[in-house]
Amino acid sequence: MAALAQQTSNPPARTNPLSGNEQAIEEGHEIYNRTCTTCHGVNGAAGARGPALAGRRGYQRSTDASIFDAIQGGIPGTGMPPSGLAITDIWKVAAYIRSLRASASDTFVPGNVSHGEQIFWDKGDCGSCHMIGGRGGILGPDLSSIGEERTLRQIRDALTQPRAQIPDGYRPVEVVTTDGRRLSGILKNENNFSLQLLDSHDQLQLFTRDELREVRYGHASIMPANYDKTLSPAELQDLLAFLSRQARDKIHRSRKNTEHEP
Amino acid sequence: MMKLARLFCWAGFLLPAVAQVTYQDLKTADPRNWLTYSGSYSSQRHSLLKQIDSGNIHALVPKWIFHVPRQERLESVPIVVNGVMYITQSRAAYALDGRTGRSIWSYRYPSTLGQGDNRGAAVYGNRVYFTIPDAFLIALDARTGSFLWQSKIAEAKDGYWAPAAPLALNGKIVTGVAPGDYGMNGLLAAFDAATGKQLWRWDAIPKPGEPGNETWAGDSWKTGGGDTWLTGSYDPELSLIYWGIGNPAPDFDGDVRKGDNLYTESMVALDADTGKLKWYFQFTPHDTADWDAVEIPVLVDAPFEGKMRKLLVQANRNGFYYVLDRTNGKFLNGTPFSPHLNWATGLTKTGRPIRVPGIEPSLQGTNVCPSVTGATNWMSPAYNPDTGYFYFEAVDGCQIQLKAAQKFRPGGFPFDATGVTESPEGPLQTYIRAIGLTTGKPQWEYKLIGARVYGAGVLSTAGGLIFAGSPEGSFLALDAKTGRELWHFNTGETIKASPMTYSFKGEQYVAVEAGSNVVAFGLFNPNEEGR
Repeated sequence: MAALAQQTSNPPARTNPLSGNEQAIEEGHEIYNRTCTTCHGVNGAAGARGPALAGRRGYQRSTDASIFDAIQGGIPGTGMPPSGLAITDIWKVAAYIRSLRASASDTFVPGNVSHGEQIFWDKGDCGSCHMIGGRGGILGPDLSSIGEERTLRQIRDALTQPRAQIPDGYRPVEVVTTDGRRLSGILKNENNFSLQLLDSHDQLQLFTRDELREVRYGHASIMPANYDKTLSPAELQDLLAFLSRQARDKIHRSRKNTEHEP
Repeated sequence: MMKLARLFCWAGFLLPAVAQVTYQDLKTADPRNWLTYSGSYSSQRHSLLKQIDSGNIHALVPKWIFHVPRQERLESVPIVVNGVMYITQSRAAYALDGRTGRSIWSYRYPSTLGQGDNRGAAVYGNRVYFTIPDAFLIALDARTGSFLWQSKIAEAKDGYWAPAAPLALNGKIVTGVAPGDYGMNGLLAAFDAATGKQLWRWDAIPKPGEPGNETWAGDSWKTGGGDTWLTGSYDPELSLIYWGIGNPAPDFDGDVRKGDNLYTESMVALDADTGKLKWYFQFTPHDTADWDAVEIPVLVDAPFEGKMRKLLVQANRNGFYYVLDRTNGKFLNGTPFSPHLNWATGLTKTGRPIRVPGIEPSLQGTNVCPSVTGATNWMSPAYNPDTGYFYFEAVDGCQIQLKAAQKFRPGGFPFDATGVTESPEGPLQTYIRAIGLTTGKPQWEYKLIGARVYGAGVLSTAGGLIFAGSPEGSFLALDAKTGRELWHFNTGETIKASPMTYSFKGEQYVAVEAGSNVVAFGLFNPNEEGR
């Protein structure tokens, strides 16, 4: 344990010369899938003998240098052997592994940010459901920190791929009360005995089950997932560039004594 | 909305939109809601709800418990708006279903430099406001917990923090700071409820050239304390905010700050629009016992010596109960409520204490009564217009008070110039007391056996009940007229917060925070299956 701690806490101060380089990440991806998947899973998933390298876990090596050292020299006392890769290829694989874990705000996302912001509020109509910086709608999640909460890929998928599951707190629901009133909204919480919803007038409504004659659950998120069709590729890229830069909590942590935010 | 409507192909009957909290709502204080820290601008903590009364109190049962993770001691008073309950702790806020305790949203502030207690939220419009240990005022969307903005009240790196529940007025949010014990000078500030822009600021310690600065020897005003860590009251007709000011610093060594030390240990009345001081009344000039005068000012219109008066009453930490005219701050009456009071023999016609020489901290130690913890403290009092009694929690006892020279250290460090040890005159003892509103005459007292420290505040209801909590965990109901114990429940954790009541869809609830839990009570209902 002490040896491990020493290895991870005292790496040489080296950074990846290929960090964030898209072509290098792509090549690193290929090298990884070719040479590392005897033990680790394909595309950074968990494998038969090695852990998943995607995701953010406390035990994972997180600096460029510590990832490099593990690939080059293996991890003594574990099944991780030295890879025998050339130094440039090691940096490529390290760049790929970092990219698996990077939040969107850690990634350089090209695009016209201010145009992306305009699309968020106008053409994309994102602001009718989502809030950024205290402005916008309340039916969907607040996106003020989405760039640090999600990877770029997750954000792109949310805009273009229908979700298999609706996250808790955002399922559409329609209820009919025992006295015949009908309300629709977003289900914030429920159990066998009660149900809490944010109704279509943006007001919270509280019910016990015995006050409801009928509860109809929506099976699809109200989040449109066709922005690759309603926006041009350039517009989608600009929107991604804007969203990936939404990192309020990170900004807050670095600017402790601001008079007034946002 | 269109998206929802499309989803359900729905164009049916709608509930009318529930109005957000308006200034009118705050002034009216509909008893079904509990909209401010003290329940209403007058801070009487007397609810007109009477479904639960002295006749059916035996059927009061716990309805739900909400556990707050990572919290040892909650001290906030829940706010309830149309059945939705808002509670806070030092860096987090929660919205709950007030009937079931089910979570609607939670918000956690990313990180803070400091730590400290939090005493609750304010609501205005569709927003929830609370303060964090870094002395910021935070605004959240009341329906989702989305962070809207934050405004700095004071410098956290200097040592300030902010525990008080803010007070929402007409379009503005007023709040204060702590701690005076660090030599940090107090202030009150008002912020625009919509934008967070600071509208005015009032400094509790006057600067050179300002009236009152002459009550501080030399430069002692610079580290004078006088903080504002408990929520004040408000009279909308007079447009005056009433706020109690904390102790001077250093707490126990008065030699370095000779003079009355204004406006520490005072009640101040500020113009709500400008923050200008209208009047002040100082309870304990030149305090050396840490008797913060922050206790809740209770506003009552009642006859005094045959004439209707606008009164402000306060049970003060120094052991006296005060009746003031809240239009001008004039002292009307004052009576000791602590039998062990030894530092003053009484009050003059203008309300100034007649001090007993030598009863102050000394190098070798002096027995001072009441103790430093005070004859009462942050625990909220109540006034019941039906009985005409004022109810509060009192702590009787003495402590040996010591002093020593101490240099002020900037950056947020204790500046109390020593402290206290136990007095041989018996342990501290906590009571619930009822006294006459204008006379201060004792009516009854209820001894909280086993309670040696501060406990909970009290709640009065039109059901003829006084709810109170003990630091050892008992939550209890007393008869408002007689103090007779009618009901009790062991919450299992220490109670340091004040109870409140609300009603939703025809059922009354009483809630209190106990340790890390919020516990809500209501009458047993045999038809509740399906809930």
